Amino acid sequence: MSGKPLRIPAGLVSAVVALLIWQIATTWGPLAGSSVPTATSTLAELWNMLFMSETWDSIWQTIQMALYGFLIAVAIAIPVGILIGLSRFAFISTKFTFDFFKVIPPIVIIPITILVFGPTLQMGVFLVVFAIVFALAIQTAYGVRDADPVLIETMRCYGMGKTKQVLYARLPAASPYIAIGIRISVSAAMIVAVVAGLVGGAPGLGHDLLLTETNGQNSATFAIVLILGILGLAVSRLVVFLQRRFIFWTAS
Amino acid sequence: MATAISVNGVSMEYKTPKGTTHVLDNVSYEVQDGHFVSIVGPSGVGKTTLLRLLTGLARPTAGEILVRGKKISSSPDDLAVVLQDYTRSLMPWLNVEKNIALPLKNQNLSKAERKERIKASLAEVGLEGAESKYPWQLSGGMQQRVSIARALAVRPSILVMDEPFASVDAQTRFDLEDLVLKVRDDFGITTLMVTHDIDEAVYLSDEIVVLHGKPAKVRDVVKVDIPFPRSQMETRNDQRFAELRTQVYGMVRGLE
Repeated sequence: MSGKPLRIPAGLVSAVVALLIWQIATTWGPLAGSSVPTATSTLAELWNMLFMSETWDSIWQTIQMALYGFLIAVAIAIPVGILIGLSRFAFISTKFTFDFFKVIPPIVIIPITILVFGPTLQMGVFLVVFAIVFALAIQTAYGVRDADPVLIETMRCYGMGKTKQVLYARLPAASPYIAIGIRISVSAAMIVAVVAGLVGGAPGLGHDLLLTETNGQNSATFAIVLILGILGLAVSRLVVFLQRRFIFWTAS
Repeated sequence: MATAISVNGVSMEYKTPKGTTHVLDNVSYEVQDGHFVSIVGPSGVGKTTLLRLLTGLARPTAGEILVRGKKISSSPDDLAVVLQDYTRSLMPWLNVEKNIALPLKNQNLSKAERKERIKASLAEVGLEGAESKYPWQLSGGMQQRVSIARALAVRPSILVMDEPFASVDAQTRFDLEDLVLKVRDDFGITTLMVTHDIDEAVYLSDEIVVLHGKPAKVRDVVKVDIPFPRSQMETRNDQRFAELRTQVYGMVRGLE
């Protein structure tokens, strides 16, 4: 055979192997006859679901909760983080409270949010905001504080005021920190958007997961899990791509 | 000749949890317009503290610093700085052009004027056409040239340098020293440089201020009476050069 060698992405190979193991385990292996569906029936179900508008509605609802929650959290956390980071007093005095809220798992406040919002999209959005806003603000504040004092003094010598220091030095210096915060936040936003449906009854894939499971539609349940996996992978790839594009100076 | 900078009875104390550290004691000195003055002294003597006062980054506990007769309370307008740590004083997220352009935003220049200034400054330091490079794509010596270009672009009347050549290799160091002499020749900027390198101080300066003691006082002021232009090959072999460096070395060490 002449020509180019076959370039099969290594990731695809491992995915196929994983599917094979799944198929074997559920056909002849220890999981045969259990409630775990086979890979082929799950994929067939997934294929069917792709042609149902309900599936896409659910995907969109989940993305909406994650996205709106994420955007609101960013819009709050970054300005707040900058302000906190600029003042030593504010940094020290807020750190305890923020750390406290940061470690509260959003799932424990679901009962309260159901009382306030009901099982709605807004509830999901609120949970997502709650889950990530504190960590992101702290991360931003750390980054702002980490700006090199030599750089800041250089700017002061050249008569550049606080606003310029923030714009040209502190914010860019903080951006690798913010990027890490955003990477973690994006995954957390997706997870919480699903949990909001699964536990709190908010619409979207989480809710579908709960329904199919209760109805014993195991293939559908697993198909939704696959959708969530693909969705999560795509989102984190996108974030890494954007990070490399905008924070180019840290790589070298 | 007019006085560019007067340091009048400046003292500096730091309050630390362990008590008060007295760094500078009644330091007085005058820098003439267009002169190149080096500040030398043993390490830890307070050279950098004095520089922080001169750039307006810190205020003296006692005494005052006048720039052209005006007492400074913050960084003087027509001041430019070149620091030792070029990797920390240039912005890695901005290219060379934007790094140089940043201090120019305080001056009311048109876009074309700004571009022209940047181009001229880069040409002066021998980095023509490096506008679109990022600092981390350049060698240490080249980054320090960018710092110097940034300083020149603001057309300062006073240039302050803190150990500007301490982080580059010996060959680059000689090149940069000669670059500074050329800049001095072209623009006649009043320059203050802190250095621990006595040879370098003698080679570049009109006058050398020797700090000594704890707290530091002005131990002596040495006039460097070696004519300009100077050159690495000849000046450094000059009889007078050897005498002066020996004299200054003795003062720094507290031998004389």
